Amino acid sequence: MELLRPSSVDELDGGLFIHGGTEVVPLLRDGIVRAETLVDVRGVVPRGVTGGRIGAGTTLAELEADARVPDALREACRLAASPQLRNMSSLGGNLLQSTRCWYWRLKFPCRLHDGERCHAADGEHREHAIFGNDYCASAHPSDVAAALLALDGRVRTTRREIALAELYRLPDEADRRMTTLEPGELILEVEVQPPAASTYLKAMDRKRWSFPQVGVAAARTGGGTRIALAGVAPVPWLLDGPEDVERATPLPRTAWKVDVARALVRRALAELG
Amino acid sequence: MKLVINGDEHEVDAPVGASLAAVLRERLGLTGTKIACNEGHCGACTVMIDGVPVLSCITLAHSVEGEVTTIEGLRDHPLVDAFVRADAVQCGFCTPGQVVSAAALVAARPTPTEEEIRHAMAGNICRCGTYPKIEEAILHWRD
Repeated sequence: MELLRPSSVDELDGGLFIHGGTEVVPLLRDGIVRAETLVDVRGVVPRGVTGGRIGAGTTLAELEADARVPDALREACRLAASPQLRNMSSLGGNLLQSTRCWYWRLKFPCRLHDGERCHAADGEHREHAIFGNDYCASAHPSDVAAALLALDGRVRTTRREIALAELYRLPDEADRRMTTLEPGELILEVEVQPPAASTYLKAMDRKRWSFPQVGVAAARTGGGTRIALAGVAPVPWLLDGPEDVERATPLPRTAWKVDVARALVRRALAELG
Repeated sequence: MKLVINGDEHEVDAPVGASLAAVLRERLGLTGTKIACNEGHCGACTVMIDGVPVLSCITLAHSVEGEVTTIEGLRDHPLVDAFVRADAVQCGFCTPGQVVSAAALVAARPTPTEEEIRHAMAGNICRCGTYPKIEEAILHWRD
């Protein structure tokens, strides 16, 4: 294995991108991803906050402490992972993290590993999805993605600019991918317009350092209020409105998440006033 | 590769993919840094890079650009004595990582509140459950 350290977008030419390494290194070590060439993109990806533009190389720890960042995003960063992980992990990498589904992480031949069934749907799935779960029942773990989805963030890559919602896709039989990024495409920046008010609430197994059971982000702008959820679907999940919680399709042992989502949505909207 | 650790420069030969924790322990004999989970969960392997606590078990040694501080570099830090005074150690395996995280905290906030301590120390798991003593040690680190 080799490690390249390009200093500009023009030098990018294949390989597996790595920034903070908090996701890629464990996946490499477990043999879930493989690479001959690692490409350290820290010299390529912008870092820092300029107006509404946030460099994708900004760490979660930096965002957590930046008063210019909307409340929902700042709180999502503060409640994510552990201090050391927030010091290491980049915004862009956080958006692209893989599911914590234990069947996938333990390399069961599930649909995301090009297998023929979802092991979680028939197996242990207490922490799995309540929306969009008929093909793959995994739950997307990113607090930050839910916050940015509620904030209607936009993503600039090396090739295009898209709404954050367009970064993700539900996997299906024809295409098992969970994002719309093409091979070699790299997230450079995220753009967020300041909302009138925003918040992020998170239910966890313990009070700190835990992935979301259910995370609820809400943001109010002149155009209305957007609500997005983490930990409830294979991708970050946008609700049409608070009543949309009732359209959940829980698995036998994820029905409790519907109750948690309903309560957190109510509290989040109350906070926005 | 060249690494600057606790102020000393080291020339190290290791394959790409080797973790900083493995290089510290196996190539440089700096065994104060512990490896427990080896997958970024527990915080036992915490070191600082340019003063910022990171997990050396999932840091690729070849990607390190800044100066590394390990527990060996904090030998004379008052926190070490504070941990002993507060009896904040049971088995002691997590303690090096705890002290590194705590040292970064008190460098940024010399008089942290209990809430600040709990927030900053949340990534260091102690299976013996010495958390109240660790909090006490950090609250009184300069006494």
